[in-house]
Amino acid sequence: MTLTHRLCSCLLALAIIALAAPRAIAESPLLTLTGAVDGGLVEISRADLDALEWHEIATSTTVTDGRPLFRGVLMRDILALAGARGETVTARALNDYVIDIPVSDFHEFDVIAALYMDGTALTPRDKGPIWIVYPRDDHRVLADIRYDTRWVWQLVALHVQ
Amino acid sequence: MMRLTRPLRYGGLAALILACIGLLTVAAVNIVRIERQMQISATENMTWIFGQTQIEALNLAAALSNNAEPAEVQLRFDLLVSRLNLLRDGPQWRFLSEAGLAEGLMGWRDGLLALDPAEGGDRAALAAHVAALSTALRGKASRVMSREWQIQSERLDSLGRLHLLALATVLGALISGTVLAALLIDRERRLIRSKMDQLRAKQLERDLDQERRTSEGYRRFSDLIAHQVRTPLAVIDSAMHRLTRPGNPPSPEIIRAKAEVSREAVARLVRLTDTALLMARVDRGAVEPDLACHDLDRIAAAAIEDLHESARALKTGRVILGSGNRPVTAICDPVLTGEILANLLRNAFLYSPPGSDIDVRPMQDGELAVCDISDRGPGMTPEELAVAFEDFARGARHRDLPGSGLGLPLARHLARLQDGDVTLAPRAGGGLVARLILPGAVTA
Repeated sequence: MTLTHRLCSCLLALAIIALAAPRAIAESPLLTLTGAVDGGLVEISRADLDALEWHEIATSTTVTDGRPLFRGVLMRDILALAGARGETVTARALNDYVIDIPVSDFHEFDVIAALYMDGTALTPRDKGPIWIVYPRDDHRVLADIRYDTRWVWQLVALHVQ
Repeated sequence: MMRLTRPLRYGGLAALILACIGLLTVAAVNIVRIERQMQISATENMTWIFGQTQIEALNLAAALSNNAEPAEVQLRFDLLVSRLNLLRDGPQWRFLSEAGLAEGLMGWRDGLLALDPAEGGDRAALAAHVAALSTALRGKASRVMSREWQIQSERLDSLGRLHLLALATVLGALISGTVLAALLIDRERRLIRSKMDQLRAKQLERDLDQERRTSEGYRRFSDLIAHQVRTPLAVIDSAMHRLTRPGNPPSPEIIRAKAEVSREAVARLVRLTDTALLMARVDRGAVEPDLACHDLDRIAAAAIEDLHESARALKTGRVILGSGNRPVTAICDPVLTGEILANLLRNAFLYSPPGSDIDVRPMQDGELAVCDISDRGPGMTPEELAVAFEDFARGARHRDLPGSGLGLPLARHLARLQDGDVTLAPRAGGGLVARLILPGAVTA
């Protein structure tokens, strides 16, 4: 076996590992939807989100400086994917932070479920895996504490009713 | 004095208007600043954020002491790190730094990360670190709260000050606006008063003018009486004197001649009285024309006949009635129209040289009925034409001719009463054309 062969097989092995690892992550559910959704329970994985159209919002936030660039999928697309039928969504975070959000918010504004901030994936050690982000700089009305409390970070579950 | 006060007054008004606008602008700016400051943002909820950090520290401590599953410990660990990361972010870190509470916090975070269970950190050491962190956080929590309330109170103070300032400027604007309104009302009142004065002066001037015209009229009237009444009276007196002279009694021819002269003098006096009376009735609006369709030729013919009968003494020329081949119909009062024509004819006779012709020509002119009376007299100068229709205006050249000086004004008054008019114009070839214009009846 030549050095070139060994290098090739090494690279191949790395490629297989690199492909397999995200696949495993992609399979595990990121977000759980309950209530008025298809079958009463819908689990959304990273693969499901990847199949949706991704959007970017550059906006200031109340807890950071500057205008970070957020990347994710539209909340209304997630609700449509789960076949949600309801007026209100009760969002729950990892730390059991719970808040009610009117579904109309997601239709009036391009609210996204952000998975990346400034190109870096959000993790539970930050505000991940999912941070609900409103286009705060595009609509004056959104610069208000009543909307600020709906920016749920570390989002894990949505209950539709 | 005037030159000095006017700029002062305008300057005062301008200053007041500027003050009003300035004060209102300041008030508006303050209100906008109040509106901006009244927004609450989540950053100001530091007590809650700090409390959350404390809770996650306690949760991790509890998980560790309960020998919880590694996954549960990992979750609690991650959550505590996320809260410490949150405190490290811009607005939160500035708040803590300004309050003097940031010191040491990141040291606690680094110590925590060094004991990360995912990387095989020692659980006992982690438990001790978290317990110490909880204590440290507890010590800072009350100061975070107090700092937050201090900031809120300062903001309320500042809002209160802005509010008072806005109120004061609005009050100032109100006061200067009131003064401005008072000044403007005063000016308006003065303006109206001066306008009223002007109107009153104009009215006085008009009254004076009227008075002047009236007295001029009286003067002319007394002139008229002096000439036109005294002359026939003198004629009668002279005739009576001749008839009653002592000596030879007058022959029947002389008696007849004197009687004729006297009767003519009386007729002149009667005509003068009639004209003056009719004019007086016209003046007080007591003449009501009885309008209907009439043949202007026939009215003219009748007027000519009357004149021939009453004015035998004139014995001058002849009147030629030049009727057209179509009847001329006028909407008029036949009596008043006859009076007008008689007046115009008498004038024509009066001013014509003996033996000359007078043309009377009724005709239709579009929708008008017109009657021209042309003489071959001396005519009138433009100055005489200009005043011909004024009461008692008699040409200076004709003061001694019999006449009231009311004939033309009366003729015009009577014509206008019937929606018509009387005009004078020079005749081509010498003389004067007096024209009576009346509304005509449209004939089929």
